[in-house]
Amino acid sequence: MNPLIPIMVILPITCALLLNLIHTKERSVKILAIIVGIALPAIPLLANYGMHYFGGYSPLIDNPQMAQGLPDMITQSALNLYHPAITYSFASAQKIFVFILGLIAFLAIFTSLSEIKKASGVYAFLMFMGTAAVTAILLSDDIFNLYIFFEIAALSQVGIIIASRTEKSYETALKYLFLAAIAAPMLLLGIAFLLGLTGNVNITDIIYAINSGLVDPQNPALLMACGLIFFGWLYGSGLPPFHSIKSAVYSKALPHGAALLQAFSVFTFVGLGIIILRIFSFLPFTQVAIIVVSLLAMVLGITMALMQTDFKRMIGYLAVGELGYIGIGLGLGTALGITAGLFQAVNEAIITAFIFIGFGTILYKTGITDTNKLGGLMVENPKVALLVMLSGFAMAGVPPLNAFQSKLQLVQASITAGLPELGIIMVLLSIVTFMTFMKAFYTIYLRPKPSELEIKNKEIPRATIISLVVLLLICLILGLFPQIVTGQLEQLAQGLI
Amino acid sequence: MRLYDIVVNRIREIQELSTDKEPVTNLSASATLAAEITLISTVLIAAIMLRKINDILMIVVVLALFIALIAAMPIMPRLKKEQSDSFNSMIFYVLLALTIIITLFYWGVRNV
Amino acid sequence: MIIDIQLASFFTAAALIVLGLFAALFLDNLIKKVIGLAFIGDGVNLFLVTLGFKPGGIVYIFLPGMSADTFAQSASYPLPYAMVLTSIVIGASTLAVMLGIIIMLYKKHGTISSKKILDD
Repeated sequence: MNPLIPIMVILPITCALLLNLIHTKERSVKILAIIVGIALPAIPLLANYGMHYFGGYSPLIDNPQMAQGLPDMITQSALNLYHPAITYSFASAQKIFVFILGLIAFLAIFTSLSEIKKASGVYAFLMFMGTAAVTAILLSDDIFNLYIFFEIAALSQVGIIIASRTEKSYETALKYLFLAAIAAPMLLLGIAFLLGLTGNVNITDIIYAINSGLVDPQNPALLMACGLIFFGWLYGSGLPPFHSIKSAVYSKALPHGAALLQAFSVFTFVGLGIIILRIFSFLPFTQVAIIVVSLLAMVLGITMALMQTDFKRMIGYLAVGELGYIGIGLGLGTALGITAGLFQAVNEAIITAFIFIGFGTILYKTGITDTNKLGGLMVENPKVALLVMLSGFAMAGVPPLNAFQSKLQLVQASITAGLPELGIIMVLLSIVTFMTFMKAFYTIYLRPKPSELEIKNKEIPRATIISLVVLLLICLILGLFPQIVTGQLEQLAQGLI
Repeated sequence: MRLYDIVVNRIREIQELSTDKEPVTNLSASATLAAEITLISTVLIAAIMLRKINDILMIVVVLALFIALIAAMPIMPRLKKEQSDSFNSMIFYVLLALTIIITLFYWGVRNV
Repeated sequence: MIIDIQLASFFTAAALIVLGLFAALFLDNLIKKVIGLAFIGDGVNLFLVTLGFKPGGIVYIFLPGMSADTFAQSASYPLPYAMVLTSIVIGASTLAVMLGIIIMLYKKHGTISSKKILDD
């Protein structure tokens, strides 16, 4: 029993509820949010690896005391191995993911507290709630528990958009919620099919039931379940056909909110993607479907980003497009590919947060997102401009930053897997990503300032600069020493093939 | 500059049809052109992966795609219009995707 | 003719889901769309409840004097019911948020036509 594992989820939820209660007291909101924010990335570093059974009900085979006196039809069958409790598993890969998610959540909350004049307990409440939900998605070994947190994550994302109070935020929130109301029941229907076939919602047990022949792997209901869960995954991570709503969601949130929202998408992508690979690895078609959807996401996301004039929308589309790289890694199905894909997920979460917070400074100074009306901001604050430029370099995969390592590994993996075409496409689209970024950077920072542009006379908060520098440092560290992360992820990748 | 003028004019025509109010600048014209080329080349390269199924099929599909894509140029402005923020088109594509996924997983896996 | 109640229930669930998807796609009134979306969730919940049904089964409460063997053989499966309760709560909160947003949009636009509000 490791009490720190459930604390990773319980602490942010408790903090969120407390923040809601004290939301009018600005000072206490700030103090509580910062303290819990620091704890979020710290807990996964301190926790030991292991499983956590809620209520303490471990499988009967590990718990002879409870097995006493039960009829033979339970103790002599597969039921003996089944997990009766909701199970959270915490291993080296989860450690990295939860740590990065916690760090981004902390930086987003930290920045928001200093950029928003009046600290709002409700906004921080939503951010903590979403973080808790996505952490649970990463940890949970129980697919129904995952569905509950999937819904909570969707609701808190909607809340974050509404709380941002930008133009048309209500409309976008409603669209997102409507699509959630279609996709989430479909995910639940897929889970219900799995429950009906295997009598269980624990993922390890479902896999046991399929592999040991208790369930026919070609059962049509199982194939249906795969399709439905796949559809839920598309929604959760914003792959096509959900790419346009997801990029709209990012662009309607405030920059720090968007930085967190994209981290939610990336980690939902990873969490559910791993589960799909674990349960349905016996269907080669799943991998083909993952690759096709990822390619679509890359092409549509990045080309649409190139067409945008609103820079928030542009980064939103880029964020969706970059998800495709992770998907290709997972879809290749080799240990090298999956490791590279997961590494790319970690990198992307960091880099996109970096870009969103970096471009947020422009919104803070001018209040404008239309690139046609911007220009000449380099003179205003060259240091921030340099940081923003480095964030773009990181996303495009310029050495020595982190995405270079993961994209290189992805290209290598695609060549060893016998699909060099994917490698070519990835390189090509990286170049286009860089071009898209440079187009925005040129219009905002380098070209002459339009005469009607007014720049507000207020300093960029120090918290924003600190966040940007921290994210840049992580990019550099992971770029120079990628084995810190890949070493941790390899174990999971080996287990998936 | 001749070719560039043709491109700009063509984009302007399409944008007028779609009643888009944004001005056609140098930057947006080159961006559209770049997106166009990216899209076509990516689709063609991706189609080469059909060689895993059948070589002849791959050649036929790549050639057919190449001709079709060139004939359909410019694709990007239309694609952008199609991926608008209109809820009706969004939900239409979502349900279309749901149908395709279920069909492929249900029949595709068993019969192919 | 006696219809198998479980089968009939599955068909009802499927009909609810299809009806809900139809409403979400074709109806213009936002409130009607929301009702359709609620149908989808209800259909899935009904499907889950039906999964736990056992013909001739007993309630899954271990009464005093009951032998463990009989209980294990004839009790219906409790897991789907527990899941449905949670799922209904989640569905209700989603519904509340949707309706809340629609109220705000109505105040802003003075209409609840999806074409006028969500079409850009």
